[in-house]
Amino acid sequence: MNWTCEQTEARLSDYLDGLLQPVEQSAFNRHVNTCEKCAPLVAGVARALGGLYALEPVEVPAELEDAILTATLGAPSWRNLRRWLKGLQSPRFVYSMASVAATLVIILTASGFSLRKPKLADLAPATIFSKTNSKAHRFYAQSVKFVSDLRVVYEIQTRLSENEQNPGTREQPAPQNSPDKQPGRTDNTNPSAPKQQNRADEIGRSLRILAAQFPVLSGSSGERRMP
Amino acid sequence: MRRHSRRIFNICYRFTGNRTESQDLSQDVFLRVYRTLGSYRSAHGGFATWMTSVTRNLLIDHYRRTKRDRVTDSLDDKMPVVENKESAGRRPDEQALLGELSGQVQSALTRLSPELREAVILRDLQQLEYSEIQQVLAVPEGTVKSRINRGRIELARILQQMGVRPS
Repeated sequence: MNWTCEQTEARLSDYLDGLLQPVEQSAFNRHVNTCEKCAPLVAGVARALGGLYALEPVEVPAELEDAILTATLGAPSWRNLRRWLKGLQSPRFVYSMASVAATLVIILTASGFSLRKPKLADLAPATIFSKTNSKAHRFYAQSVKFVSDLRVVYEIQTRLSENEQNPGTREQPAPQNSPDKQPGRTDNTNPSAPKQQNRADEIGRSLRILAAQFPVLSGSSGERRMP
Repeated sequence: MRRHSRRIFNICYRFTGNRTESQDLSQDVFLRVYRTLGSYRSAHGGFATWMTSVTRNLLIDHYRRTKRDRVTDSLDDKMPVVENKESAGRRPDEQALLGELSGQVQSALTRLSPELREAVILRDLQQLEYSEIQQVLAVPEGTVKSRINRGRIELARILQQMGVRPS
């Protein structure tokens, strides 16, 4: 295979990059070894490539990054503000702020602070304490009353079911100091709650009337229909 | 951003041979990228390739604007004068940092014609593939190969004229 000087120059990069076919490679080598013009050319280009590869990356000026940020995002103060505002969008911050807001609302509501008519005096520690104390006591009293009502209702239901199962013992008084007394069941041993006993008797009477008028509501309606 | 700024600054420095100009050009590249980020499409190549295209366009614009590069466009008869200019344009610490051969190669690079210079820089300094260079320069692959080949040969001739002999 013949090889010319023009071919050497045209395919020099292919030779240096190792892209020549074996046949071309050997023809290239034969020509360069015998050509006075091409031999220094190949050596010179190889030397130039070596010099290019030996070039170290240039160190970037320290102020370049800051200059780029200033050119794109603005002055450092604005950049800091943007970064700070961007930080506010993080989920962690949003959740934290939501929980703090919820806690504040709960505390203010408990202290009686009116969001519709806010007053500065309502935020005084003494006012917050007295209102919170009052609300807590009120809440405690309501809770006690609710539990008491539940006990009364439970007692009525128990007495009604006992009466329906044992009609003969309906008017029998409860045993004094019975050891198997149900919790919350009133008896005559507790003279400190006469109002509660009266209220229970009234509700019990009303329920009995209702049960008589509407037997369907009663659990033993099926038995009553029996002849 | 640090990685990209380093790469862009190096391309600019190898093209212009001047740190101050390279810094200004790098800043302009990022500014243009920031403003035209909406026009970037991943289908047209990687982000780094797109950034390199922006850099190349700015470098060509810069070359056309400056008169000095027009003077250095001629490769044969301005060599000693241009070398003095290069030496005068650098700070002493820069000159000290450059090795003898590295300095000569950098000087020879800046004397290449811009189209050959950019091809050699992208291939032999930035190690880009032919297909990537084709995208950056927006020319056929055959033209890319031809420019790289001619650029290397031209660089060797310039180095020889500067007194750098093959070892």
